[in-house]
Amino acid sequence: MNDVKMIAVGYDGSRESDAAVRWAFHMARETNAYVTVVHATGLLEHLGTNFSPGVAPPALSAIAKKCGFDQARLRWSVTDGDACSVLFRAVNPPINAELLVVGSRGRGEHSGMLMGSTSLEVVEHATLPVVVVPSDFVPRAVLN
Amino acid sequence: MVLVVGGFFDDSGHEDPGHPERPDRVTAALAGVADLHLDSDLVTAAPREATRAELLRVHHGGYLDELGALCYGGGGDIDQDTYATYDSWTIAKHAAGGGLAVIDELQRRNEGVGFVAARPPGHHALADRAMGFCLLNNVAVATAALLEEGERVLVLDWDVHHGNGTQQIFWDEPSVLYVSTHQWPLFPGSGYAGEVGGRHAIDRTVNLPVPAGATGDVLRRAIEEVAAPVISDFDPTWVLVSAGFDAHRDDPMANLELTSDDFAELALLAASFAPQPGRLAMFLEGGYDLLALRTSVHATLGAVLGARPEFEGLSSGGPGSDHVARVQRERVAAIDSLHTFNAEEGGA
Repeated sequence: MNDVKMIAVGYDGSRESDAAVRWAFHMARETNAYVTVVHATGLLEHLGTNFSPGVAPPALSAIAKKCGFDQARLRWSVTDGDACSVLFRAVNPPINAELLVVGSRGRGEHSGMLMGSTSLEVVEHATLPVVVVPSDFVPRAVLN
Repeated sequence: MVLVVGGFFDDSGHEDPGHPERPDRVTAALAGVADLHLDSDLVTAAPREATRAELLRVHHGGYLDELGALCYGGGGDIDQDTYATYDSWTIAKHAAGGGLAVIDELQRRNEGVGFVAARPPGHHALADRAMGFCLLNNVAVATAALLEEGERVLVLDWDVHHGNGTQQIFWDEPSVLYVSTHQWPLFPGSGYAGEVGGRHAIDRTVNLPVPAGATGDVLRRAIEEVAAPVISDFDPTWVLVSAGFDAHRDDPMANLELTSDDFAELALLAASFAPQPGRLAMFLEGGYDLLALRTSVHATLGAVLGARPEFEGLSSGGPGSDHVARVQRERVAAIDSLHTFNAEEGGA
């Protein structure tokens, strides 16, 4: 794990993705890695609120601060596409992720079955290690 | 000339309040058809479901089972964009079957033009996954049926979004030529010019990405200069159009500047690629501004039927003209790479 230089974590503003980001920041702090927080822009975002490509959401800064993660090592990426495809592309430049982190279930996903689970889809098809973080995960260091 | 319209089925059960992919879209599209006043030249194809065997030509069985079970369980959100309801499974199978019915009718008549006014749309649906409002890939199901009959099918996709599902399904299929114009960058993030097909189907995918703000003249030039020679070499026996109307300048989902009249011009281009009457069918994909959808359907179908109602006039002067040469360069480089790979690997 110490060799991982770049962690990519999926983020859609949901409680589950907050937990994934917490885990990624915590791990990166321990391993001196960078974290790229990746947001996939779906079709409907063109009609409503968008995440801005240039500015990381303030919520991420707040999480980083709580986790003691150096924000200079935080990258923010907004990419057109569905969540799975965008996460898979994070393995390529310019992100070059060596580890993918996803929440156990994202915004708008069906809660009962396999279908609609980005995390399962990513686990099934990813070509690099994947961490699926439970939605209630809080790092021990943060709890303390 | 006869217009064969298919996809008639009560789609009111596939609706998520507030979602832009809604039953009113088909109502608007059919109003565009009615505006043509075709009388006896309007023929309706009998509605039917696509069978499991017909769907299995393009979709994985496990995915079909899962989608059906999700719907019968009451449905839900599949991803941040895509939903299903209790009725969606039946409605989606009728949308896919609508394309098959239109093709059957065109083959029986050996004349006319087809229009599949059905939803949910299909071109984002992958072999194993729903996506981008799409559950089943309607145009792909129709294409696969034609392939079974030994046809060579051109799928021309002018929806503002790249049809990643259709591209994926026929990526390595030499008897299908997939040509897409789309805004880029934009959802779903695929559709680079350098995506030219698999090693068994080199140059059977032609992606023509254009920047936000592009006008109809840019899309026509891209098709005429880059795609038309490939289409001519391919020599299709059928032309199916993924006719999304969300590249219209009034559409809220994207940022191209096309007018209804631009779609009429694109339709005439599509018709020019068809080898004979009765070999052109259009499938409704996107299009979320209801008035723009209605006038665009009117203009599109009117053009291929020989009438030419005028609406906003043609658009021109937008950015992207310089992209055409770049697209061609990227395509040539990708094609050369694949040929080199095949040569070094002992041929495909």
